[in-house]
Amino acid sequence: MSVPILKQGDVLIASIQAALSDRELAQLHDAFAEQVGRFRSRGVIIDVTALDVLDSFATRTLRSIAYTAKLRGANAVVVGIQPDVAFAMVQLGLSLEGVATALDLEEGLAYIRDVAKRGGQRVR
Amino acid sequence: MADGIQQAASKALLREMGLDEANIERRKKIVGFEASDLPRIAAIRDLVTQHADDYVTTFFNHLSGLDDARPLIASRAIAERARQLKREHLVAMVQGEYGMKYVEQRIELGILYAKAGLDARVFLGAFHQLLKHIGSAVMKQLDRKPVDGFESFMSLKKIAFFDIGLIVDILVFERERTIRQQQESIRELSTPVLQIRERLLLLPIIGVIDTQRARLITESLLRSIRANRAKVVVMDITGVATIDSKVSNHLLQTVTAARLMGAHVIVTGLSAEVAQSLVALGIELSKLNTVGDLQGGLEDAERILGYRVLTAEAGAGPAPEGT
Repeated sequence: MSVPILKQGDVLIASIQAALSDRELAQLHDAFAEQVGRFRSRGVIIDVTALDVLDSFATRTLRSIAYTAKLRGANAVVVGIQPDVAFAMVQLGLSLEGVATALDLEEGLAYIRDVAKRGGQRVR
Repeated sequence: MADGIQQAASKALLREMGLDEANIERRKKIVGFEASDLPRIAAIRDLVTQHADDYVTTFFNHLSGLDDARPLIASRAIAERARQLKREHLVAMVQGEYGMKYVEQRIELGILYAKAGLDARVFLGAFHQLLKHIGSAVMKQLDRKPVDGFESFMSLKKIAFFDIGLIVDILVFERERTIRQQQESIRELSTPVLQIRERLLLLPIIGVIDTQRARLITESLLRSIRANRAKVVVMDITGVATIDSKVSNHLLQTVTAARLMGAHVIVTGLSAEVAQSLVALGIELSKLNTVGDLQGGLEDAERILGYRVLTAEAGAGPAPEGT
């Protein structure tokens, strides 16, 4: 199952609904890299609310998507990490170093708006 | 009615302490109780039964002379009940039946002692006094056959030690239960997550942080972040006396987990000693956002959230823009 990427104004949103295989993750990565340029997006939101586990490959891919998007001029936010998932990730030593995170989609959109208002500078 | 409740309590304790038939048999083996002891005890059955009241009086007279036993003697209701149970005990001691029923009786008395806060050493003293009286009575009655008298008394003493083992175990178990409950309540009390403004949480940490507690703190924080939609968390560690590499690691994990949920964590209240020891230990805390005291942390948090605090007079002017 490939993840659909939705375009909302100048923000791209992908909501991951089920655990993805490594190949599907790689596809998502490629799709984002391509579409950020095509739509001249300012923000990228990856919603992982539905996931109950994030392994090391998924974490690395999310980070990679964020860095790639940044290089293409868009800020990425990972939203909706569940409490249990966050705790498990920390226990495993996985962290989304340098990637913005937000509570949910709404917060993620607010963050992107915020960054845009501050002239593209990251607030944290 | 009250008896029923007490019996239920002693049955429950029986289970908690794992006192089943096999355990009781093991306890008998520990004191060296054998089938040959039964006729010897039977030989002094009448003697003990007849004078049971005297021995009970001896036991409690000895206790009432001791300051340490005051809790048991002071309450009339408890003393009466203990007296009654003790009498039943003495009679049961010479009946030759030392099964589950007998142990249940012992436990009921043990719970009573534990409730009254009777120390094991006080109980031991009084019980020994009682045994001494039984012993001399036995020797007096069997003065023609001192060997038989001694043997009978020693058999009875095995049962007495079997009882002592039970009572001491109960006293220790009940005391440990109190400690366990206290630890539990300290743990629960000491990890509150407080919302002090819309989207701003305060997490005051007091006391020692071990792995289990760090886990509880993290879990309750993460849950609160989601429930309150928190954006900023101020974690105050003024009440944490010492921080070593393990504790700092726990704190880092908590901060990282909160960040994964989109919350910004500000750590406050690192005392001079703590800061110095962290630097001396070479612990990497650059990932932590630290502010000297709680006030500074809250001010910082309010700034991030876009609050501006004004005094009433200053606020009377035109509302500032952009807040």
